[in-house]
Amino acid sequence: MATELLHARGLSVGYGRHAVLHGVDFAIEQGDFLGVMGPNGAGKTTLLKTLLGLLAPLAGTIESSSAKNGGKPLFGYVPQRESLDLHFPLTALEVALMGRFGRLGPWRRPGKEDLRIARACLSQTGMDAHAHRAYRKLSGGQKQRVLIARALASEPEILLLDEPTNGMDVHSERAIMELLAELQSKKSATIVFVTHLKATIEEYAHRVALITYDGKLLAGEKKKMLDPKVLSQAYKPK
Amino acid sequence: MMELLSMPFIRNIFLAGILVALGLAPWSVYVVLRRIVFSGAAVAEIASAAVALAVLFQLAPFPIALTMTVASFIGLSRLSGSARLPPETMVGMLYAGGSAASVLLIAKAPRGEADILNILFGNILTVPASMLWGLAAVFAVLSLLQFFAAKEFLISAYDPDMGKALGIRVDAWNMVFYAALGVAVAVSIRAVGALMTFTMLVAPGAAALCLTERLGRAFVVATALGVLSAIAGVFLSYQYDLPTGSTIVAVLSALFFASFVAGRLRAAA
Repeated sequence: MATELLHARGLSVGYGRHAVLHGVDFAIEQGDFLGVMGPNGAGKTTLLKTLLGLLAPLAGTIESSSAKNGGKPLFGYVPQRESLDLHFPLTALEVALMGRFGRLGPWRRPGKEDLRIARACLSQTGMDAHAHRAYRKLSGGQKQRVLIARALASEPEILLLDEPTNGMDVHSERAIMELLAELQSKKSATIVFVTHLKATIEEYAHRVALITYDGKLLAGEKKKMLDPKVLSQAYKPK
Repeated sequence: MMELLSMPFIRNIFLAGILVALGLAPWSVYVVLRRIVFSGAAVAEIASAAVALAVLFQLAPFPIALTMTVASFIGLSRLSGSARLPPETMVGMLYAGGSAASVLLIAKAPRGEADILNILFGNILTVPASMLWGLAAVFAVLSLLQFFAAKEFLISAYDPDMGKALGIRVDAWNMVFYAALGVAVAVSIRAVGALMTFTMLVAPGAAALCLTERLGRAFVVATALGVLSAIAGVFLSYQYDLPTGSTIVAVLSALFFASFVAGRLRAAA
């Protein structure tokens, strides 16, 4: 049986007093490749931000067996790349290096070892040749690879990606998902990704967490969760 | 030039300009990237109103200006956004309210208007040697803070969610950033006035960001442009008998526009 890295019990998530999701029970296991899908505005990103600790749960608990980070799993977060400000004149290597910041502690500057790790992560995502290029001048797919490298540089237990292929052409989308699949199969990475694309989930995820229109979360094996009856229940219009 | 520097009075003006450039120009890169350019102007007006209030009640102006500057920066960083209004609304209203309060309070103050304006807006020509030491000490501490907290300041501005996910206390570091910026602005306004402080807090960083694709280089270029403007401004003002602070501001503005054009031409090439 795989090790549970995280277990949410009776979790309610939302903003202020307004719960977007409630009664959420699910677990993330070591080596998971979990796709989170659901209707637009159903609370996919809100759930992800709650798991990351950016939003406090409105109710319930998130339990973890991790002893490395004060009882919280170490997350490698890949935000929607449109959320980053392109006015910052950063190179791909400088962006990847940010993944090391949490491990350094306050007042310490990144050293040679941090640079080595950031370069190795860029290499892992096929971006080593672009290390010194301006991040803002990279293509959408290349930016995403840099952000994945940044998340890997934090040496995470769980990689969390928010709409990793949003706005990409088919070729770039496939390349990013193949990269994630390779990280999962060859490096045993634990990956949770949020998407609204059923085809992506169908092709790559091993398990699925389906957010329903009425604020519930159903999690299980892909075949069961993508059953047309289950999907029509989840996407039933209000 | 050597003849100019042999005069202690002129030497102090050069030193004041260079110190303010060294102290503020690196912050200007963050001010531009964080999109808080007009916060600097609004905070300067709030500080001015606080000084006018202190003069009216015969209290020490600088501690009140310092407190109000730091508090305003921190307040703007935390309160400016709401669901109904974009952040610049609060900045604009603080600017207008601060300006009006200054004028009204000065009108009722018992001291002469010129005297109060000097306290409010500083004057690079009258910076005493003791204030130069104070500027050097404060800016040295703030530069060390910038150096050692570079990664915290960067991630808090660039990707706060990632910073929080990494366990960095982004909200606390933002407070440190704005408090430090407030101190830098307060001591600079006291020495050289609001206009030069505001320009030095924007133009060098904006020009540097037009000229370079590297963040590290932007800090170096901004500092170099700030120092160059201060030296050129003092020299030109002496040579052509012009107001010194305004000449430095004019040089900074010219450098910014030249850098903007150079950046556009380079991008088009």
